[in-house]
Amino acid sequence: MNKYLGNKPALALFLLPALLLYSVILIYPVLQTVLRSFYDWDGLSTASFSGLANYRELFSDPLLATSLKNGLLFAVVLAVFQIGLGTILALVCANPKIRGRKLLKTAYFIPVVLSVTVVCQLWIAMYDPTNGLVNKLFELLHIPYRQNWLTSPTQSIIAIAFVNAWQFMGYQFSLLYAGVKAVPEDYFEAATIDGCGKWRAHLHVTLPLMRETFKFCFTIAITSGIGAFVQMLIMTNGGPGTTNYTLTFMIYRYAFMESNYGYACAVSVLLVMISLAATLVINKVFDRGQNV
Amino acid sequence: MNSKTTFRSIGQILLQIPLWLYFIVSIYPLFWMISYSLKNNDEIFVTNPFGLPTHFRFENYVNAWTQFNIPRYFLNSFVVSTISTLCILLLALMFAFAVARMQWKFRSAVRTYMIVGMFMPLQVIMIPLAILVRDFHLTNTFGALIIPYIAIGLPFSTMVFYGFLVSIPREIEEAACIDGASIYRLFGQVILPLALPAIATIAIFQFLNNWNEFTLAYILISDENMKTLPLGLLFFQGSYSTDWGAMGAVMTIASIPMVLVYLLLSEQVERAMTVGSAVKG
Repeated sequence: MNKYLGNKPALALFLLPALLLYSVILIYPVLQTVLRSFYDWDGLSTASFSGLANYRELFSDPLLATSLKNGLLFAVVLAVFQIGLGTILALVCANPKIRGRKLLKTAYFIPVVLSVTVVCQLWIAMYDPTNGLVNKLFELLHIPYRQNWLTSPTQSIIAIAFVNAWQFMGYQFSLLYAGVKAVPEDYFEAATIDGCGKWRAHLHVTLPLMRETFKFCFTIAITSGIGAFVQMLIMTNGGPGTTNYTLTFMIYRYAFMESNYGYACAVSVLLVMISLAATLVINKVFDRGQNV
Repeated sequence: MNSKTTFRSIGQILLQIPLWLYFIVSIYPLFWMISYSLKNNDEIFVTNPFGLPTHFRFENYVNAWTQFNIPRYFLNSFVVSTISTLCILLLALMFAFAVARMQWKFRSAVRTYMIVGMFMPLQVIMIPLAILVRDFHLTNTFGALIIPYIAIGLPFSTMVFYGFLVSIPREIEEAACIDGASIYRLFGQVILPLALPAIATIAIFQFLNNWNEFTLAYILISDENMKTLPLGLLFFQGSYSTDWGAMGAVMTIASIPMVLVYLLLSEQVERAMTVGSAVKG
């Protein structure tokens, strides 16, 4: 039997294509990025070793502060809107007495399957200062809050982050909804019989039991906020000026527009470090709650 | 007693309000897009910005379809997404079979090596990948997208298949061995049919991912004839900024296939898109 299942040629045939492709296209480039971050390199000519120079330059680059701040804001908008609002919607929607649940779930999920380009262009039209839906809506409601949404140096990052939050709300909602559904009904019922109100029962019973779901949802929201790129590129090209830069936008600009590959690799390494650190912190926070 | 039940049902209705409010937030922008694809500028901006078009201007669609490369973008996206998804399915299933069912020394180490890729932010490979594609002379070919998409899809898909395959009872191989089936027949005629539900899930997940992938396509493809749909659509932003109706038509055409697929297979699509939480979490 072991001989049958240890068939060497078969093993090679099954393993090697995937392993080879994965190593060449994914693992090798990761190692290259780390290595090249210590070099002065324009992508064409021979690279020269420059030690930590790229990193030293990076930490005095004014774009870094902008990018970190934007990444953080982006992540906060995603977390608050998708997880905060999504949790409330999921708790209400999971109530079996609510009618039209299938219709609601479908409507929430549709934006997820759309192309990000379509979504961004749709929102460019909606944010249009004179003809856009958002300003027209404020006008209709007689609220004096018309804005130049995408050209405001302070608000455009929030406006852009909201587009991402809107598009992927349905995705987070599905995860949260499944999380609520996975909590056994009798726990919740026992709490309400013990005299807990519905919302208190959710707060003390349902939500703590959804720890794994929240861990995953926060990891997605925070890491995609830190690494945001496409929305900035399509909607404002990082502007006005450089106010909407993110770490990925920095990588894109330094590598592909300024051919400063070594430096862009250093930014990539920093991005990975921050993403990993964020993931670890989220894991720690949610695992610590477990022992209480 | 009676007033209590009335109170309860009013409470139920109030409770539902946020759900339907968000229903509007989620769906109305799309309704607005479709309705303005059938209007002219005057109607969009001045006379009727919110409601249904009074006169359906289908010429916006005719213009969008005939004057621009939309069919080409569709074809490119279809070719790239289909080929990469098929290759991911085959390679990932073979890999998962070797790791989950076959007997050899380093299988857990090799599996761990593959899992690492799941936690790599894509941005970290962007630069060397662009150079790799250039050095292999793949720039502006389908290969420039298909090969990276396969590699990127592998870690996640192999893990889902692995989880599925380890749960199949051991007796399967014994029976196959006693019947004299070769290991290739075991894979092709026993394991593959058993794994069909997992294959369907991964197929949907990867196809959607590849169909909508933007960043790598943006970096690796510049030739107009090779552009995929998300990339090609960027072009309309500048050239159509004065004709909103046609812009809306382009966006609606681009969205219809995926929305239809979703409406037809909504449960499977949602399950496919959320399967990640079971693996990663």
